[in-house]
Amino acid sequence: MATDRLVERRRVFQQYKEDVKERGKPFFPYAMWHDTIMSLVVVVTIIALAIVWKYTTPGNHHTTAPGWLGKLYDAPADPGTINFVPRPDWYFYFLFYLLRIFKWPETVVLGTIGIPTICLVLLLAMPFIDVRAERRLLRRPVALVAAFLVVVSMGVLTYKGATAKEALGSELLAHVPKWAKTEGFANNPKATAGAKLFAVSGCLNCHSYNGDGGHNLGAPDLTGEGSKNRGIQFQIAHLKCPACVHPGSPMPSFAGLGQQRLEELATFLESSKGKKK
Amino acid sequence: MATRTRLTRSQQLQQTILYPLDWLEERSGIVGGVKYFLFRKVPGDINWFQTLGSATLTAFLVQALTGSILAMYYKPDAKDAYSSIQNITNHVFAGWLVRGMHRWGASVFIILMFMHMGRVFLFGAYKYPRELNWIIGVLLLAMGLGEGFTGYLLPWDQTAYWATVVGININGTAPFLGPFIAQFLQGGTYINADTLSRFYAIHMLMIPGAIFALIGLHLYLVVRLGVTSPPWSKEAAGTGPLAGPAQNGRARVGMTRPAPRRTGR
Repeated sequence: MATDRLVERRRVFQQYKEDVKERGKPFFPYAMWHDTIMSLVVVVTIIALAIVWKYTTPGNHHTTAPGWLGKLYDAPADPGTINFVPRPDWYFYFLFYLLRIFKWPETVVLGTIGIPTICLVLLLAMPFIDVRAERRLLRRPVALVAAFLVVVSMGVLTYKGATAKEALGSELLAHVPKWAKTEGFANNPKATAGAKLFAVSGCLNCHSYNGDGGHNLGAPDLTGEGSKNRGIQFQIAHLKCPACVHPGSPMPSFAGLGQQRLEELATFLESSKGKKK
Repeated sequence: MATRTRLTRSQQLQQTILYPLDWLEERSGIVGGVKYFLFRKVPGDINWFQTLGSATLTAFLVQALTGSILAMYYKPDAKDAYSSIQNITNHVFAGWLVRGMHRWGASVFIILMFMHMGRVFLFGAYKYPRELNWIIGVLLLAMGLGEGFTGYLLPWDQTAYWATVVGININGTAPFLGPFIAQFLQGGTYINADTLSRFYAIHMLMIPGAIFALIGLHLYLVVRLGVTSPPWSKEAAGTGPLAGPAQNGRARVGMTRPAPRRTGR
């Protein structure tokens, strides 16, 4: 069978070459003409996007206010604060949202590495999975359905990623007094300072705390972190290098905050004894 | 011409003009190569969708050109990166345009890669004997996404910084290799000033070099193996001489209408 298929494939390709020789047309000027027009459209589109990006940005150009296509640039990088949701460029939104589907720690690796790797391997292997010579779409129902599902799921994930909302640091900051009251660290200024840091440093993009924040990348709830009595030194060491304490932890290092702020944050975590009933 | 005659003036002129080309052809064969590239036959029924590949190439060339210009002003250093981006955007002549084209050209490039891949998939153009070119295409897609990821950090603003922190940590969760990949990308155990120059080198040298080489292979294979006819075409190349209605005994229903094909596939 396999040899039959090979013979048939070769025959069809030979036929293709003869057909093209006989009835084809030269690349130049016919195909090249179409290619040139399309390329011009591409270049004009790119220039138009650049112009819209700049000229819809309000005010003078030293601003970080967004225009129709977003900001020209954000505030300078600061490892100490994050009062917005870290987001990749829009064409990674589908991956970005995929992570949010997997909330349980054991499954996170599926969303981050598992599914993307499987997709890449499937793509690479495609010509060896689909070995039939048939090219007409209606006679390739599996391929047609697969293509449809891929387009729809990538579209949905991109849309969900684009519209996903997390609370901003400034909004979370307003919750600090509530946290202090329910968790009982209102009289500890160091813990309160740490709570403010906690609100603006993006911790709640992944962790949940006292009813705020998200459950992403398998990050644990920190409402009652202090009741585990792990100690301030442990908290600082963990914040400096999460993966050193919990191998494989996806949490980034917060060593950039500096010793003083790390101590505040650790005090806050150790003072969070859980919601009082 | 059997005997040597005096050349007319126009012939002399022609010879003078063609001399450099002849010189080049004799030593490299490049003229013949270009002629072959331009005048090779393509199926008569090719479609507008088949311009997506060259459109992707154009978008890449725009990226290469604008990126080279940006590199003349950009400073890949944690201290100066942000202010150099501001300088490009606000002070360098047409800097905003070049940066805007690079920023949005990236999106266009990636959209076009996906559309081109979708076209190849729907046309079944990855099938024998073009399997290898599909694989090269998938590698190019991965490289393109890598460019998107590494380029995003370079403005060194808050968005860039934190998106990259998350991105690197995602790489770090991979089993076995993850921590090593993360360490390699960061140039340390956490994201720091070295990360920026590392991303710059990857973004400017490593991946673009690989992309150029792979595009060269990709195009070589396109020219060598030819372009496929749209699968629904009733005169698709690879189906033999067109059958007249009289001997159209084995006609099958194609995408849109009965296709007078001689041989089944």
